[in-house]
Amino acid sequence: MSIKNESKLANVEVIERNFEALNYICNPQIATAVFLAYHLEKPILIEGPPGVGKTELAKTTAEMLDLECVRLQCYEGLDESKAIYEWKYGKQLLYTQVLKETLSEILDGAQGLTQSVDKLHEFGDIFFSEQFLEPRPLLKALKHEEGCVLLIDEVDKSDHEFESLLLEMLSDFQLSIPEIGTVKANPNRKPLVFLTSNNTREISDALKRRCLHLYIPFPDADLESKIVHARVPEVPEKLRSQLVAFIQELRDMDLKKVPAISETIDWARTLILLHSETLDADLVRQTLNVILKFQEDIEHVEAELQGVTNRALKET
Amino acid sequence: MTSMIDRTVVDFVKVLRTAELAVSPAETLDAMRALNIVGYQDRQFLKNSLSIVLSKTPDEKEAFETCFESFFSFDKFSPAEEQQETEQQQGSPENDDEFDPTSEQEEGGGKSGGQGMGQGGGGAEEASDDEGLEPTSKLGKLILARDTSAVMLAMVEAGREVHVNEIVVFTQKGLYTRKIMDAMGLPELQDEIGTLQDEGGNERTTLAGKLTKARDRLRDKVRDYVEKQFFLHADESGKQLREELLRKVKLSNLEKRNFKDVQEIVFKMAKKLIAVHSKRRKQFRRGHLDIRKTLRHNMQYDGMFFDLHWKSKKIDRPKVMCICDVSGSVSNYSRFLLMFLYSLAEVLPKARSFAFSSDLGEVTRLFAQSDLEEAMAKTMRDYGNGSTDYGQMLLDFKKNCMDDVDNKTTIIILGDARNNYGDPQSGIVKEMYDKAKRVIWLNPEPKMSWTVGDAEMNKYAPCCHQTEVCNSLMHLERVVSNLLRSST
Repeated sequence: MSIKNESKLANVEVIERNFEALNYICNPQIATAVFLAYHLEKPILIEGPPGVGKTELAKTTAEMLDLECVRLQCYEGLDESKAIYEWKYGKQLLYTQVLKETLSEILDGAQGLTQSVDKLHEFGDIFFSEQFLEPRPLLKALKHEEGCVLLIDEVDKSDHEFESLLLEMLSDFQLSIPEIGTVKANPNRKPLVFLTSNNTREISDALKRRCLHLYIPFPDADLESKIVHARVPEVPEKLRSQLVAFIQELRDMDLKKVPAISETIDWARTLILLHSETLDADLVRQTLNVILKFQEDIEHVEAELQGVTNRALKET
Repeated sequence: MTSMIDRTVVDFVKVLRTAELAVSPAETLDAMRALNIVGYQDRQFLKNSLSIVLSKTPDEKEAFETCFESFFSFDKFSPAEEQQETEQQQGSPENDDEFDPTSEQEEGGGKSGGQGMGQGGGGAEEASDDEGLEPTSKLGKLILARDTSAVMLAMVEAGREVHVNEIVVFTQKGLYTRKIMDAMGLPELQDEIGTLQDEGGNERTTLAGKLTKARDRLRDKVRDYVEKQFFLHADESGKQLREELLRKVKLSNLEKRNFKDVQEIVFKMAKKLIAVHSKRRKQFRRGHLDIRKTLRHNMQYDGMFFDLHWKSKKIDRPKVMCICDVSGSVSNYSRFLLMFLYSLAEVLPKARSFAFSSDLGEVTRLFAQSDLEEAMAKTMRDYGNGSTDYGQMLLDFKKNCMDDVDNKTTIIILGDARNNYGDPQSGIVKEMYDKAKRVIWLNPEPKMSWTVGDAEMNKYAPCCHQTEVCNSLMHLERVVSNLLRSST
């Protein structure tokens, strides 16, 4: 497989560096996964808690390789007509009307029913040809001229049937359309496929088997600090380590939804807007709703706020 | 060499499988392809890559981690102790400085898969310079060369020859140690030591002594190696054997120490059932019309709307009421049924659980709120171990719950129907029979004792749709699976 900017995928360190240049800080596992996905020509299934940058990885890869990112958002009830292709019914109807009017011209000179039918057959199945086909994300990605990044987002939200639909695409990079035949990807321009899942339900073994599996956990303090630095460079160093320490401690608490990286970044932005230089209990209390999304979590943390804040301040 | 790499991968996959990672042959092939790209140079890189290719859930990743560490680790084979002995023998302090870096490098080389050859060779030369006499047998040369990675390689090779990965039980360790030693050329070495001692002479005896020592050291190492292999290969398959057994054994015969295993099995069973049965979907026959789908499906009928499709779908799951006898005589069984019900809560959201000895109490909420251990303990404390009164239980049920029973409800009663000669109130069971979809009675006793003594099974049985003997996990699984299947 060769796509443009292939050199950016030469080895793991290069990938890591290129990601970093695009403000996506990753650990070696993530870079290894992208490296292998490209060289083994296999899709990656990315799992992990929400907000750790699963979708972002696909988008960043697309940006890095300067390829289009075709995105398919999964939801319950998603089916082939939304994911793969759809016939242009309106166009078909319109053309039928047109055909009706010119029918007598076409059939001119035909004698008897058999000849007429034979003449009609000469037209073949024009109504089910590519001109009448509306490609949806999967087909679009497959037929992309210069290769692309295909992001199948939150695949766990879709139905079991849809998963089975994906199998052909994922293992052979081809799709079968009954009326037309099999559409294959250009062997040198196969799309780079990312699937993300939030683990709301178990993904079937058949799908897992066809994918590389990457689990992105919450980052440790070092990595998170780097990420915040990359995303919100305005944050002064002291505040950054304080807020990272605070978040890290929150993750150990028994909360309904622990703050993810995206929340850390939002919080950092908030604190910049408020021109804060350092954390204190009052400030945290006022901005707690940025990082915690449930009232009971907020109440739970507020009770221990002073202690957690002090510890976060002390650590730095 | 390629075939050797492939064999290593296959061996490793086998180890993963015994650790309950479901690795398919296709994934094994992927791993080999990945290896071709990744290479063996960087251990961490190799581990990340294999982990991405072979393990597919966070749990599996953890298991993979341990497997990888123990499969690809040679650090047990540290040359440090050997070093010490050599120093003692030679007793020359100047050698210290020369040897230390060597040993360090050797350790590093061993880890990354045998690079320390050159270093080890240097050590060997020195040793033979000291002695002026070299061992002639292959193994003798090898073990005196102090080249740990070469010895390690030879050992692994020999292990492969004698199929050490087929070791099943602990007692086979001696056997396999012996086999590996033999395959490495022990008889030859023994002969040599014998000859050296027979021939006598200062140098020869020293060499013989050295060889003997090295041989004993090697034996220790081989034993270690075999032990490690045992833990890698046999420990888990032994567990599988045990699980298989536990499923069939009568629940009342289970011992306390097995409870943890059983809990694991119950959990696994429940998970399997959930996976199988949550897929069944039934399409609603009303609600929003799915126009797109209807259009598409009706194109074959010339666009006549003939076959209608609806938007909403629904997973149909049975409404289950489960009544457990937790009195002394059957508490062992109900414990497991309760455990099972607890685990099934996800697939049976409408399940209600009751427990009784004489008075009936609902434990659904308790189950929902506390974890398994606590819920079981509380249930047993509140309702358990009294004397049985089925009549009272049925009266309570009629009073409190009969109104909730409808034609979709399945009622499961678990008990031995031993009523202490009280009023059986079988009329209420009849009423359940009429109102509910199904009434299932699970009796832990064998069928022949169902009517013996104070058992009232003959009165209850006609009012049940189904009566089953249920005294092992396998029975339990079958009943619940049938229950889920019949609901659709």
